[in-house]
Amino acid sequence: MKRSIGTATAWTVGFLAMFGILALIGRAAANGSEPAASVGPRMTPDNGAGELLVPVVGGVYGTREEAVTANASMQVGDLQGYYVIPVAQFQGFREGVGVPGDFALVSVFRTDEGAQEFAEFVQSFGYPATILAERVRSLGGLYAGLGQERNLDGTGPLLGPIPESMP
Amino acid sequence: MSSPEPTARSRQFGRLMPVAIAVVLVVAPVLVGWHWAKLGWRDKHYNYPGTPTGYTQIVNRFGQPCNADASAISMKWPASDNGVTYTPRFHRKLGGYPTEVVSNKGGKSTNLDNDVYGHIQNAHLSQYTKSGIWGYLCRYIAGTTTWSTHAWGIAIDISASYEPQGSCTSTVNKNFAYIFKQHGWRWGLDFCDPMHFQYAFGY
Repeated sequence: MKRSIGTATAWTVGFLAMFGILALIGRAAANGSEPAASVGPRMTPDNGAGELLVPVVGGVYGTREEAVTANASMQVGDLQGYYVIPVAQFQGFREGVGVPGDFALVSVFRTDEGAQEFAEFVQSFGYPATILAERVRSLGGLYAGLGQERNLDGTGPLLGPIPESMP
Repeated sequence: MSSPEPTARSRQFGRLMPVAIAVVLVVAPVLVGWHWAKLGWRDKHYNYPGTPTGYTQIVNRFGQPCNADASAISMKWPASDNGVTYTPRFHRKLGGYPTEVVSNKGGKSTNLDNDVYGHIQNAHLSQYTKSGIWGYLCRYIAGTTTWSTHAWGIAIDISASYEPQGSCTSTVNKNFAYIFKQHGWRWGLDFCDPMHFQYAFGY
């Protein structure tokens, strides 16, 4: 009898000691590190390479710094406004805008409706917004706002080419 | 000692007095009633969707960003300072339901255009809703690739010219923010964006 009581007591004390040690180890352990970068395929930003896009232009500047400074002064509430983009990223842009300079404030769209909506929004803040008369061909490069317009079928954002944007 | 004889003027006053009292008794309630009714406005609280918390609940309740319902309803909202009447658009679940002062726009509730807007008008607070009033826009949050709540039509910016983003204090919107809060909205002042009201938490 005494032996069985002793065995039970030993098991209980053992378990408690084990839990205590585990708790101490867990408490002392470092916080979990950030998960490692995914090894799976990653989506590249949608820059519409090869597509014919409608640019809304907020200005053209000689240097990136000038463009960045100008863009910082054109806040449109809490929403994303223009993107600073090298002019050479779009074939036909220089001819369309007719102003010298290597960097521009641009947001591009696949639909005329998306461009018009954004232009009206920016203009309501008193900032310039010119929709180029001719579509320009994207040569890839930096992200310039594609996808931030409604899909024509009304299901959500427009995330792919449409017949009007295909060459 | 006998009382003096009433003069003709006092007799005339005595005759008109009941008429004046009757007019006041009739007109005063009508004026008070008109004031409170505001030409028929009533707070309806009809069919509000639950305020979602986080991206998943927003999508479950209001669909994908930039879907057709996100901009289905519009309303006229005049700014008090520049005379411009803005036309913010918003989600079908947040307004557009027919009431005494809102025509049938195919909406499913009375939240924004009848109840919130009506309360602001009724409490004489429209003087604080100033220029820069925006609703739906299919756009990211500035400097990110995260959808703004504007892309679901569940956010509205008011007095943007007076309440710059990044300011952690409010100049004019503080006067009516409580009305939004009482109707399920979160005020952006919580994250230093006092122009912004959104029908979502945790996002």
